[in-house]
Amino acid sequence: MTDWKALAAARCPDIPADAVARITPGLEALEAAFRPLTERLTAEDESAVVLANVQERGE
Amino acid sequence: MTIEQAARQLRVREVSAAELARESLRKIHAEQPRLNVFITITEEVALDQARRADDDFARGIDRGPLQGIPYALKDLFDTRGIRTTGGTKIFADRLPDRDCAVYERLQAAGAVLMGKTGLHELAYGVTNSNPHFGAVRNPHDTARIPGGSSGGSGAAVAAELVFFALGSDTGGSIRIPAAYCGCVGLKPTFGRVSRFGAMPLGCSLDHVGPMTRTAGDAGLVMDAIAGYDPRDDSSSREPSRAVAKEGFSLKGVRIGVPENFYNERIVPEVAEAVAGALQRVEAAGAHLVPIHVPDPEAINVAGRVILLAEVSALMEPYAGRRGDFGGDVQALLDQGRLLAATDYVNAQRLRRKMQREWYRLWEHVDVIFTPTAPVFAPLIGKTEVQWGEQVEDVRLATTRLVRAINVLGLPAASIPLPSWSLPIGLQIIGQPFDDDFVLAVAASCGC
Repeated sequence: MTDWKALAAARCPDIPADAVARITPGLEALEAAFRPLTERLTAEDESAVVLANVQERGE
Repeated sequence: MTIEQAARQLRVREVSAAELARESLRKIHAEQPRLNVFITITEEVALDQARRADDDFARGIDRGPLQGIPYALKDLFDTRGIRTTGGTKIFADRLPDRDCAVYERLQAAGAVLMGKTGLHELAYGVTNSNPHFGAVRNPHDTARIPGGSSGGSGAAVAAELVFFALGSDTGGSIRIPAAYCGCVGLKPTFGRVSRFGAMPLGCSLDHVGPMTRTAGDAGLVMDAIAGYDPRDDSSSREPSRAVAKEGFSLKGVRIGVPENFYNERIVPEVAEAVAGALQRVEAAGAHLVPIHVPDPEAINVAGRVILLAEVSALMEPYAGRRGDFGGDVQALLDQGRLLAATDYVNAQRLRRKMQREWYRLWEHVDVIFTPTAPVFAPLIGKTEVQWGEQVEDVRLATTRLVRAINVLGLPAASIPLPSWSLPIGLQIIGQPFDDDFVLAVAASCGC
């Protein structure tokens, strides 16, 4: 599991330590729910957000 | 009175647009101290637009059923020269120099803007307990939240201050206040209503839609605001599948009844109200089809990852203004900044995978009925819902049955069900671009 305290200190040092402590339980719960879901993915699974390579549609 | 009824009266001169506007303003001023629905009341604009609507009627110009009808906009829709705050201190004095697409369309339709309604800060929450503009209160019980984030719009319609209002829905923000306040709310198919000029929250999840007193009225508003707009990259040229406006019947309509997820952790009154609705539609000729819904919990989780990342990316320029955000919104912004890019991408991949699984459902059903919210409108200040030994965060409980539908981009309405106490909402979910069909089913449910 991610060390959110260390991550916050490295990536977002402007987030105060007490704020990190408050959000850590939520992030831990979300990570615990999300990480197993990614095991369902295969290399063929594409993103829902794809580049639509169409001409600009000025009308 | 509905839009349809008011439109008839306007055309036979039983009432004028100016009279409707003045009556709406009277109610708004009377209720504002009790409900705090509006952030800005646009009295001069309203009277001017009403006068123009009356002038048009006098000259024989008919712009359609919304001409002369009072309405409100959630205060995240840009209106030129009228402040648009997004419910946040950051934009408290912001005066847009353009109109959003839906306001352009409603002006062209001759509707009359009464004001800009309160919302959860940045539309990022469900309570509407806004630290900068005060809590919007539920018209049915002012000790309770109206739901959010379009709570001001829901309360304005439910208190009959306006005939309709527009909201935005990123994780349930139209359907939740519709359920808690007791009105109709439609989150259209992703791409059907232009988001141009609407303050974004989650760029791949945001939808714009109507809140009304009846499903028929929601259809009238959709007729005015839906359609392709080249200024919104998500805008679709696909129209709603046509449905006969007259004579629609539930006979033969296949209604999916989930046997999983949507019947878990629901208060008994909500479960009973939904069961009653199912009995009524079956008696009207609909076929109830038990279904297993592909993992809405997983879609919710993916949706939360997507939303956290998208909002924090959007608000990154304001990361240095920590003291200017409410505590709940700041906490969410902080969480989003710490997520990995790989998690965001994988959440979008999961989203596509789940979308394909849901497509298969439509081979067996035409619409799906679920509760909109598992509980009644919580009391203001309440942060948790108790389920026996378990507690659930109010935001997560309130969005649990609606968030996945944003992730999937499906049309979904919330309509009020008969209730002896506080309002209860029924969610009607449809296939992509079946917005009109969803509203036709809603109308046939007596709404």
